[in-house]
Amino acid sequence: MAKFTTTEAIEMDISYWGLFFSMLLLLFPLAIFHQLKLQLTRQLFTAFGRMIAQLALIGLWLQFLFQKDNAWLTLLWVLIMLSNAVITLRGRIKFQRRILAPIFFMALGVASLIVLPWLLFVVIRPRPFLAATIVIPIYGMVLGNTMNSCALAMERFEGKLSDNWKAYFTRITLGASHWEAALPAFQQAMHISLLPRLLSIASMGVVSLPGMMSGQILGGASAVVAIKYQMMIMAAIFTSVTIADYLAIRLYLKRRFDQYYLPKGEPRKKP
Amino acid sequence: MKQSEEIPEYPQRDLLRIRIKRLFYEDLELVSDIDLKVSSGEKILLTGSTGSGKSSLLNTLNLMNQNYEGEVLFQGKPVTEYIPQVLRSQIVMVMQEPWLGEGSVSEVLDEALAFCTNKKRLDQDQNQRIHQLFKAFELPADYLQKKADQLSGGEKQRVALIRAMLLQPQVLLLDEVSSALDQTTSGIISDFIFESCGSTVIAISHDPLWQSRWQRRWRIQDGKIHDNGGH
Repeated sequence: MAKFTTTEAIEMDISYWGLFFSMLLLLFPLAIFHQLKLQLTRQLFTAFGRMIAQLALIGLWLQFLFQKDNAWLTLLWVLIMLSNAVITLRGRIKFQRRILAPIFFMALGVASLIVLPWLLFVVIRPRPFLAATIVIPIYGMVLGNTMNSCALAMERFEGKLSDNWKAYFTRITLGASHWEAALPAFQQAMHISLLPRLLSIASMGVVSLPGMMSGQILGGASAVVAIKYQMMIMAAIFTSVTIADYLAIRLYLKRRFDQYYLPKGEPRKKP
Repeated sequence: MKQSEEIPEYPQRDLLRIRIKRLFYEDLELVSDIDLKVSSGEKILLTGSTGSGKSSLLNTLNLMNQNYEGEVLFQGKPVTEYIPQVLRSQIVMVMQEPWLGEGSVSEVLDEALAFCTNKKRLDQDQNQRIHQLFKAFELPADYLQKKADQLSGGEKQRVALIRAMLLQPQVLLLDEVSSALDQTTSGIISDFIFESCGSTVIAISHDPLWQSRWQRRWRIQDGKIHDNGGH
């Protein structure tokens, strides 16, 4: 029997049979679906099937990128990740799609350009600077979180505006600019997007062990290194999320209204 | 087009000039050949059947509607050349069902005064004026602390008018403000408008209490506007 100590770093690979057995755990949810007659069985197979195919492909591709460790290839992959995030976001949002792609590209791009170079050049300082094994996982985490938050913030902002056009119109008829009239909706959207993150950050380590930290420990890093990376990544994600949410809503605000601060594409009021 | 922040000094006559060849609602032509002049302090009633274009016309004056061919001049300058918030702080609209928000009445009034344009233009301390307006509209001063969403319809409308008057507008646009009010409240508002309000008022109203008090009437009928009185 293998002996584990708390200070020893041990890399534990999983065999393919082991992986297969991990999937057998899904028999429990399947049994529950069956008993409750939940129509989720097909979705479960589709979801896990897609996940396995996508991760297998991306695993092969990442292995290739890590072996090559070419700065240009890494940068190209970063750009592809950014474009995919923009396309996914645009697909998720159901309103004003025509104007959204450049807004998301700008918001995610600027947030990435601030956070990623800071982590690489100031914090981690890997050799080489654009080491694929560092850049790609870190950017993946930052971008994934930023994308989800951006979608939520935009939906909330548009929702708050559309639910209460009367508030917006009243403010502009009293001399408010479109910025002043939409500011309460802007504040609420940012609050809704950021508050759960702050609560989750505050509970980290006590209630939950974050994925990155667990992954690093399982991958053989010491707990101290894992904790330092986790703290760094949380600061990076929160900064990136805040910048992207803010920029996306600000840019959207500019495109959403005409020069007289009236919303574009809304039904007109009574004659 | 260059927009300017300044409201120049202007003679009392021709405060507003409305020269609209065709006024639309979406693609539908509602009114044609409008040519009207408004002087400072005039009290004008705008009437017409439902869908005749009353609100559309009123909304052209404060840049809330640009669906027309022609021009609207405020103090000799096209309204489209003003910065929207500068124009709208001078031509203020009060709607039929006013929106006040969820805060206290005091917060409702403060919000409007805190908009950048209004802050620049008006005195910092508006307390005295608020109390005068509360008196004119027969609202107790302690209503300032009351939650706006707990007010009755008539009280809400009076607070909305106080909020508008605090901005000291040159033109007050009223869109059916008294249609859902009891006679007493309607009378209080009517007394204020015709006895104490120095602003030009253009109102859409069907309130019989108000009918005899207007200096001038605009009636929209069969796609034309008929001006009874004035210039």
